[in-house]
Amino acid sequence: MLKRYKMLGLFCALGLLLVSTAAQAQDNTAKYRLKPGAFGKLCQDCHPGFEEKLKKPNVHTPVKKGDCTGCHNPHTSDFKKLLSAEPKKICSTCHPSVTPKDAKSVHKVVADGECLKCHDPHSSMVKNNLLKPGNELCLDCHKSLSGRIAKAKVQHAPVKKDCLICHAPHGSAKEASLLKERITALCAGCHKTDQPIFVKKHMNYPVANSNCVYCHDPHGSDRKGILYNNVHKPVSAMMCNQCHEEATSPNALKTKREGAELCKGCHNEMYNTAFGKNRIHSPLLTKQACLSCHNPHAGKEKGLLRESPIQLCGKCHADTIKRQEMSVTKHEPVKVGECAACHDPHASNAPLLMKQESVVDGCGTCHDWMKHSTHPIGDKFKDPRNKNRNLDCLSCHRSHGTEFKGMLPFKTVTDLCVQCHEKFRR
Amino acid sequence: MRYLVHLALALVLVVPAAAGAADSLKLRYLGSISTDEKDGAVKTPEGVACNDQGDVIVADTGNSRLLRYTFQEKNLKGGAVLKVDQIGAPVRVQYGPKGDVFVLDGKLHKVGRLNSDGSFAGFVEPVGVTGPAKYVIRSFKVDSANNLFLLDILGERVLKVDSTGKVLSQIAFPKEYGLISDLAITIAGDVILLDAVKSVLYVSRKDAAFAPLTKDLHDFMNFANYITASSRSGDIYLVDQDGGAIITIGPDGSFLGRQLALGWRTGQLYYPAQVCFTKNGEVFIADRGNSRVQIFENAK
Repeated sequence: MLKRYKMLGLFCALGLLLVSTAAQAQDNTAKYRLKPGAFGKLCQDCHPGFEEKLKKPNVHTPVKKGDCTGCHNPHTSDFKKLLSAEPKKICSTCHPSVTPKDAKSVHKVVADGECLKCHDPHSSMVKNNLLKPGNELCLDCHKSLSGRIAKAKVQHAPVKKDCLICHAPHGSAKEASLLKERITALCAGCHKTDQPIFVKKHMNYPVANSNCVYCHDPHGSDRKGILYNNVHKPVSAMMCNQCHEEATSPNALKTKREGAELCKGCHNEMYNTAFGKNRIHSPLLTKQACLSCHNPHAGKEKGLLRESPIQLCGKCHADTIKRQEMSVTKHEPVKVGECAACHDPHASNAPLLMKQESVVDGCGTCHDWMKHSTHPIGDKFKDPRNKNRNLDCLSCHRSHGTEFKGMLPFKTVTDLCVQCHEKFRR
Repeated sequence: MRYLVHLALALVLVVPAAAGAADSLKLRYLGSISTDEKDGAVKTPEGVACNDQGDVIVADTGNSRLLRYTFQEKNLKGGAVLKVDQIGAPVRVQYGPKGDVFVLDGKLHKVGRLNSDGSFAGFVEPVGVTGPAKYVIRSFKVDSANNLFLLDILGERVLKVDSTGKVLSQIAFPKEYGLISDLAITIAGDVILLDAVKSVLYVSRKDAAFAPLTKDLHDFMNFANYITASSRSGDIYLVDQDGGAIITIGPDGSFLGRQLALGWRTGQLYYPAQVCFTKNGEVFIADRGNSRVQIFENAK
């Protein structure tokens, strides 16, 4: 009885599909006043290459039906390739919801409407009309990841197999980075946290609900256990209790001290040096303290930084990074995120946490002034615009760049020079 | 006819007032403080305070000292050095309602109180701080009742203490803030927080939790590190350190205007740090990067 109902339901659905397809075809036939029988065949008379495309195993439904007018206007269009709608929006007219509602992360190409970066709109040898099979497609864009995966001495098996084991290609309702599940749940799908080997490897600490990617690189690394390549010494020595309560404690994950006080235990010299200076970088004084910038366990970046310096510093100093991005001439250390080349990220006696109080000395660590210019600068030369300022490199340049060449604050060299040499102003 | 005359008169009165409200600060350069009384140069000053009696005090940070001046009828006098051994890194200053001076030491993260004669009266040590007991003071403001509002970036809160340091109340920072760089107290007694990273102001009315006062102000400023509220108009002023400008925000959180620009010449700012206003419309700006305090008048 139940089987009969199922069959009936299936026939009904099929019937509805056929009726709607026919109706759509008729609609377009009427709309463009196509000759009888022309629907689905007329275009191919002039576009013979489509015969080959139709032979591929995966053909886009409108193409298969010969409904070229489903996407193209046969006469005129405001859009390239005679598309009947804006290229970035046309796919969503039939596929309106490829991303989950309230998505926590959406693939940028999807958000940008760049469906053709991954899909062929006509046909493909790969399922879902994808341009390339498997990871090849993803790694075409994610090139830096591709290099890292290839070089990693310790591989994470699913990475080699298929990116889609962990990631959703369009968007995720549950996690950042297009992950299909919350990180802990995703990892626990393969790595059973109650297994003795798992417990032993984690020194009996209750890490089942911890964020695995704080320590492990899911795309592979050079370290055993795919720990990130830079590991904090107590972690590599498996001495968790150096910072945390004993594993047997009811608060095993709690740290023995709070904030910078904990780090001070080992990094005493750095702590005393920083806190002995007049200006301390604000994040160091907050509850997060050292962890505002550093990962306590392991990380991709040197110095266990949470992100690359340009991203990390840019989180708070976005205006400075933006200025550099807009600058015509790039100051190399700013461009590559070496903010620490000029600034001390912990503390300094000089304003703006400059490493050296003298601008000339600071710039002089990389630039040979006499080769660059013979303009007088230094303590003995006062800025004519302001007698309390010495002439230094920043009298003519802005270190994070400007919209003008040479990081000058004015359009032409003449405009700059006459700021002080007023008698030459024309 | 009489109706038309009244209407015209009303328009004449209302339109300029509205125009003034749209940009309530117009700064005209008056002069600079560049030296002490013995012609010693000011070095990277990070603080300046003024009061309605014409007293001005400068935190001459680079020289680890305070300088006292008077500015009356557009005449600057004085420049006496006030060396307070207990305060080695003066960064922010404010006059209290009783003529005493409050100074933040940027290294110690403590607020020192000086008597009106300049003698050191001690640090304001908060008493009875709980949850957590530790604190790090990044900034402060004094209200008309001589209560201090301390910006505690470790405890993520504002501590309100009386002149003896006794904690009267505390208000937690808003959730998911970026970096709270300063606070201000309005004439109504509301506390305003400046989030330099998110470019947003938050307000707490009558000790209630902080709620956003403004929208994202990134389009109007770069990185603001100081905020003060006018004791007369209710407007709020921000010092845009990276942009070299003074930003005016209305009491309702609307953006009203931006004054001055980055540079080395007179009338321009280079990484400014603090601003203060007098009842006569004089405006003092600690122009740190230019090693001077610039004096303007509000010519609106």
